[in-house]
Amino acid sequence: MIGLWDTTGNEVVKALAAERRSAGGVASGLALTLIAVVEEKKVREAEAAATIAAAAHPCRVLIVVRSDLDGRSRLDAEIVVGGRLGPAEAVVMRMYGRLALHAESVVIPLLAPDVPVVTWWHEEPPNSIANDFLGVVADRRITDSAQAADPVAALKQRAVDYAPGDTDLTWTRITLWRTLVAGAFDTTDARVVGAKIVAPEKDPTAWLMLGWLKSRLGIEPVLEHTERAPRMRSVELQCENGDCVRVTREEGTALFSRTGQEDRYMPLPKRPVGDELAEELRRLDADQIYADALGAMAGVSGLEHRSPMRVHVWKDPTLAARAASATDAMAG
Amino acid sequence: MGNPLRTAQDRRLPRIPEPCALVIFGVTGDLSRKKLIPAVYDLANRGLLPPGFVVVGFARADWGEGDFESLACDAAKKGARTPWREDVWQRLSSQFQFVPGSFDNDDDFDKLAETLDELRERNGIAGNTAFYFSIPPAAFPLVLNQLNRTGLADNSKTGGWRRVVVEKPFGNDLATAVALNQLVDDVFNPADVYRIDHYLGKETVQNILALRFANSLFEPVWNSKYVDSVQITMAEDVGIGTRAAFYDASGAARDVLQNHLLQLLALVGMEEPTSFDPQEVRAEKLKVLKAISLPADIAKGSVRGQYLPGWVAGERAVGYLEEKNIPPDSKTETYVAVRLGIQNRRWAGVPFYVRVGKRMPRRVTEIAILFKKAPHLPFDPADVEMLGNNQLVIRVQPDEGVVLKFGSKVPGTAMEVRDIAMDFQYGEAFTESSPEAYERLVLDVLIGDRTLFPDAAEVEQSWRVIDPLEAAWAGTTPEPYRAGEWGPRAADEMLAREGRAWRRA
Repeated sequence: MIGLWDTTGNEVVKALAAERRSAGGVASGLALTLIAVVEEKKVREAEAAATIAAAAHPCRVLIVVRSDLDGRSRLDAEIVVGGRLGPAEAVVMRMYGRLALHAESVVIPLLAPDVPVVTWWHEEPPNSIANDFLGVVADRRITDSAQAADPVAALKQRAVDYAPGDTDLTWTRITLWRTLVAGAFDTTDARVVGAKIVAPEKDPTAWLMLGWLKSRLGIEPVLEHTERAPRMRSVELQCENGDCVRVTREEGTALFSRTGQEDRYMPLPKRPVGDELAEELRRLDADQIYADALGAMAGVSGLEHRSPMRVHVWKDPTLAARAASATDAMAG
Repeated sequence: MGNPLRTAQDRRLPRIPEPCALVIFGVTGDLSRKKLIPAVYDLANRGLLPPGFVVVGFARADWGEGDFESLACDAAKKGARTPWREDVWQRLSSQFQFVPGSFDNDDDFDKLAETLDELRERNGIAGNTAFYFSIPPAAFPLVLNQLNRTGLADNSKTGGWRRVVVEKPFGNDLATAVALNQLVDDVFNPADVYRIDHYLGKETVQNILALRFANSLFEPVWNSKYVDSVQITMAEDVGIGTRAAFYDASGAARDVLQNHLLQLLALVGMEEPTSFDPQEVRAEKLKVLKAISLPADIAKGSVRGQYLPGWVAGERAVGYLEEKNIPPDSKTETYVAVRLGIQNRRWAGVPFYVRVGKRMPRRVTEIAILFKKAPHLPFDPADVEMLGNNQLVIRVQPDEGVVLKFGSKVPGTAMEVRDIAMDFQYGEAFTESSPEAYERLVLDVLIGDRTLFPDAAEVEQSWRVIDPLEAAWAGTTPEPYRAGEWGPRAADEMLAREGRAWRRA
């Protein structure tokens, strides 16, 4: 590991090359570059997740922490090849002051040549990805609405801001749910006429589940709020022939019940973020089914026709803050 | 009408079989304990089994219900690749049933049929059943007749599908293989017979197809114009273990050359299938197997070996003849090297050197494509002395990956060219958490995907390659080699005669 304090982008590039050489035998293939945009207190968490994901997808991990925008411009970097972060090679960069607004100037030279770039926000998702050059440069963008103060609003904003290649970890979290629900209809031709989802009010996964069922089945699922469960509690589908299929979460397992059959338990574990990230990295093309579900849930159509390329829109948060305080002052 | 919740675009949703039952004959055996039960647990843990999945174990042993459960639990714990989760196991084992009995007792099979009907009723399984034959081939006729008698193998009786899974050995020569195939096909539909060659379940083996047919870089040079020779190696550092009786009766050629290695050869040599439909892939593999030619003089074009005592990986190893239950005058081979050819336009004149052996220096399976040397080298001969053939090596196990070996200038003021190896490795953890071959294959059986299973025609064609070799070897004594060596010297000489050498794997 090399630590560089108050350094420059070029020094980081050189140090990474030196570390790779001295580590030896790193000619093994890189499948992608993963940029993780993280806030300081979540760096360890992001590192742990990236380590798990890198085990399945050999990649270069660039962790970017941006803070203290008003301070002096400064770059600190930590370079790890092999070792703590498993098979990945990683650079953790902390950027302060105005430099933080130009993180791409440090990050772009560090991208592995000609392999896909994936940007993952392990913090509140940006309102508009076009404002963050680290998102514009990526082929795939992964947000996590659950990290926002209002997760459901954040998820709906993802639909407004959507471009093919975006996904949200909310979607990844319901893959196992969807597998169970879809599996129920492998052996029957019963038409589904209604659905009920029971979940806490602020659970974005329930909304995405609703969007998915709506887009695939053309029904209007009902969302029932409960305060008794911390996460989505159950999904119930009513069939035309009167049958009912229900999947209920019970601490790491799912109770699968269907009219006329014995209840059954299936595994439904909560996966670590690293596993979720690994699932995302498996596919680097646009997820059409997610787009359909997201659009149906937010009531926005035509998501798949948007351009996958974003154009960077410069937005200076300090100016915006100043403007906001000026308006406040005028109002006051 | 298809399932509206599944679309081809939704590749996150894994393939999950329809509700079904898995019946394992010989459930207390080695294979079942080491591979099968752990694979079933891993599948359950990954959430890839359908709700209401049932396992029925049948075996001769005098086990009680409880004994079987603890045996299965130990087996799953020991062999599982995914983390151990007690709740998953509890739920899975509640759907495990053990039926003790012997293969020649009608009552026991009636009991099996009853148990199965009961379980299916309870779990809403519409007849779907896979029968896994983890038993010696000698017991096949008995079990098949019982299945026939009780109507267990009969689709029309309860609806749904019936599948049967057969393990190697698929016979002992062509005649026995044909007899065995006929026997199984009599009771089951030929399309419902799944022959397990666990090599085909390996990630890297499937990657051979991706490497060849997804890239434009390799296909143009994948022929006799550019390829000098192909070496396929399967080396094991272990001895014969506890399989003395079986091994001494068959030997290395029948044990692994007939199945694993010829399958690897077929995948490397085959033409592009028109699609990845199982039928199409099998058709292309079969064509290659049919085109295999044996050496004109088998005595010269093949080498049999048998290991002597020696040292392997820092431990003393006994010789084959000193192994337990091996007759001291055994002439069974533990090593085979043979020069095969493929008679078609693509491969005419390219030798395929295939070797397998036990008690080799290390465990490795790889396929090496050795390319011809450049037709003209504008360098001083002394400068390229260290330049060998360009090679593309597909490492099947361990350290799954691909190596490309080519010449490069040695840094410095003089022009000097030597070989370097560019090594692509799947991440280590990746290979560890990637499904075990059996896990993949069991899932494929339950789903009904036959792509990775050789069919009867392939098995029979492979025996047509082995039988003449065995006939020519009859009565000969294998060449001795020390345990911990890369086989007998005669194998090196066989290649040296043609100006080639084995790649040190």
